[in-house]
Amino acid sequence: MNKEVSTGTTIAAVEFKDGVVIGADSRTTTGPYIANRVSNKLTKVTDYIYCCRSGSAADTEAVSDIVHYHLSFYRMELGEEPRVRVAAHIFKDLCYNYRDSITAGIIVAGWDKHRGGQVFSIPIGGMITRMPFAIGGSGSTYLYGFVDANYKSGMSKEECLKFTANALALAMSRDGSSGGIINLAAITKHGVEKIILTGDEIPKFNEEF
Amino acid sequence: MEYAQKAVENSGTAIGIRGKDGVVFGVEKLVRSKLYEVGANKRIFNIDTHIGSAVAGLLADARHVVDTAREEAANYRYNYGESIPLKYLTNRVSMYVHAYTLYSSMRPFGVSMILGSYDEGLPQLYMIDPSGVSWGYFGCAIGKAQQTAKTEIEKLKTKEMPISEVVKEVAKIIHIVHDEVKDKAFELELSWVGEQTQGRHVLVPDDIKEEAIRYANEALKEPDDEEDQAIG
Amino acid sequence: MAASLVTEVPQSGFVFENCHRNAKLAKQGVKLPKPFKTGTTIAGIIFKDGVVLGADTRATDDTVVADKNCAKIHYIADNIYCCGAGTAADTEMITQMIASQLELHKLNTGRVPRVITGNCLLKQMLFKYHGMINAALVLGGVDPTGSHLYSIWPHGSTDKLPYVTMGSGSLAAMAVFEDRYKQDMSRDEAMSLVRDAIEAGIFNDLGSGSNVDLCVITKDKVDYIRPFKECNKKGKREGSYKYTRGTTAVLTSEIVKIPFTVIREDVTEESMDTS
Repeated sequence: MNKEVSTGTTIAAVEFKDGVVIGADSRTTTGPYIANRVSNKLTKVTDYIYCCRSGSAADTEAVSDIVHYHLSFYRMELGEEPRVRVAAHIFKDLCYNYRDSITAGIIVAGWDKHRGGQVFSIPIGGMITRMPFAIGGSGSTYLYGFVDANYKSGMSKEECLKFTANALALAMSRDGSSGGIINLAAITKHGVEKIILTGDEIPKFNEEF
Repeated sequence: MEYAQKAVENSGTAIGIRGKDGVVFGVEKLVRSKLYEVGANKRIFNIDTHIGSAVAGLLADARHVVDTAREEAANYRYNYGESIPLKYLTNRVSMYVHAYTLYSSMRPFGVSMILGSYDEGLPQLYMIDPSGVSWGYFGCAIGKAQQTAKTEIEKLKTKEMPISEVVKEVAKIIHIVHDEVKDKAFELELSWVGEQTQGRHVLVPDDIKEEAIRYANEALKEPDDEEDQAIG
Repeated sequence: MAASLVTEVPQSGFVFENCHRNAKLAKQGVKLPKPFKTGTTIAGIIFKDGVVLGADTRATDDTVVADKNCAKIHYIADNIYCCGAGTAADTEMITQMIASQLELHKLNTGRVPRVITGNCLLKQMLFKYHGMINAALVLGGVDPTGSHLYSIWPHGSTDKLPYVTMGSGSLAAMAVFEDRYKQDMSRDEAMSLVRDAIEAGIFNDLGSGSNVDLCVITKDKVDYIRPFKECNKKGKREGSYKYTRGTTAVLTSEIVKIPFTVIREDVTEESMDTS
């Protein structure tokens, strides 16, 4: 009961030509207990920028709330949609400055009219890197081989969705603290398209073992 | 306020023109004494790598306003990890300048300031006056001969011109508006920011500047003929 | 100087200034008193026209049941209530403080407070105190945007769900919900489901016990039912240990006179001196 709630998690994001695809599992745990089996780890910070949260639920929720506040303010002052880079930079600032007191591994992804779809990875400690695709959370350790073998640059939106869903399904079946349903979203200039995969819709691999 | 405006009107002319692929600044820097070093009392400033500024009015005030602008640009870069949009910088500096008009204990800045940038393929030009208002321009002039300079700028199709052309016209306009009777010596300051400077605001290189001055002087030799023809 | 003469009004809210002193004392071997921990079962569900919140009524102090009938469903606003698990003092204080903030907010805006506002205030406060305020909450209510139910953890993370449980008995209660929860239940169905969930906690979790309290919040009515069900009524004793008259035989009896004198004094009434 007193243990911190954490999102033992699998999260992923992929850039494609006109935007990004992001995805996450839905399991939130407190020790061995699943505190929430249908949680949403894809959190909105602006209409075109989302973040995928991993680490302490309380910390990442608080950080994304603060970034949401900053970006709403920024949007009012500048009169235009904030860029993904700006969002990622604010996330990085918070994660770096409070690196000793918070546990947060965040992937920032979104679309802006200047640079299109972008993915930034901000691991625990507050480093920041732009990547064509990123994976995170406890489940990601099972995924590095898969993504390196299967990622191709120049994938279409559909291919990216398939790639992300497969990656998440694989991690959810191997990582004890990932599971539940798959939340996916594609962010383009038209906004956000959300997709939820439950039960049978989750891709299957070698079920007989 | 009126005195502040006067301070600007007494200063040497400064102009900024927005071309197709960048912005060019030109300043008629009057040399009040022969004892000054060449290049002393510069009136063109860098605000950030991609933003330049030309000023008219009290130089001491101008340097202070430029300092706040630089600070603002640096803060933005620190907070958001990228270069400041000129529109936003102009807004912030205008607010600062305006604040100095609001209290009886403070005097307004005797400065007008032209700001120009080239960011993500888009040239931008703004001007702030001592009252703290600011507008976006395709071309603007401040200082002594702002009226004449403005009419000269209006004659040009600046929107379609590359800055390699604009720079010559800027040199020409500064030479035209310079009053040799009242002010004897002057130095021409030229700077630009655009595609060919990789989005950096820099002084125009000496060879290009020399050529621009040559072009200006040649154009000045035969203005009367042209006008005669126009009248005839 | 004058300030030292004025009685200082103690600050309201949480004060942690004695933490270091207490840690030092503990190191020196001083036994610190343990706070009341409400080993608890609390739960809530959303039904067709509102929210049902439920709680057990046992407060424990280590292995001792400190209170057999305490109230764990706290008032937040007229349309919002909150169940608390964790340290009793913390759940009590934090709900009171947020209730006060929401009341002021209501007075300032002239609007019915929203559940999401309560959730926001609670999570921000808990996050600020890094989980040192040991309060795990189930927040539920009905506002102009509908029925809402949140679970809030001591570190400040929250979940918005149609059915939630918290406390040491949450596993037992959740098992009941996972088995029997349906969307759009009727009021009676919802109430009996929450009752069963809390009972699962009462009977299967050591930290929970005694009675079931329920709070049913609908659009224009709140029913705070306490107790909703007394699960652990004291049974009636079948036998009696009363002896009938004459069970013990009288062997001898003796009556002794106690000597006394009567002193008598007369008192006359006087009118009061009002000059």
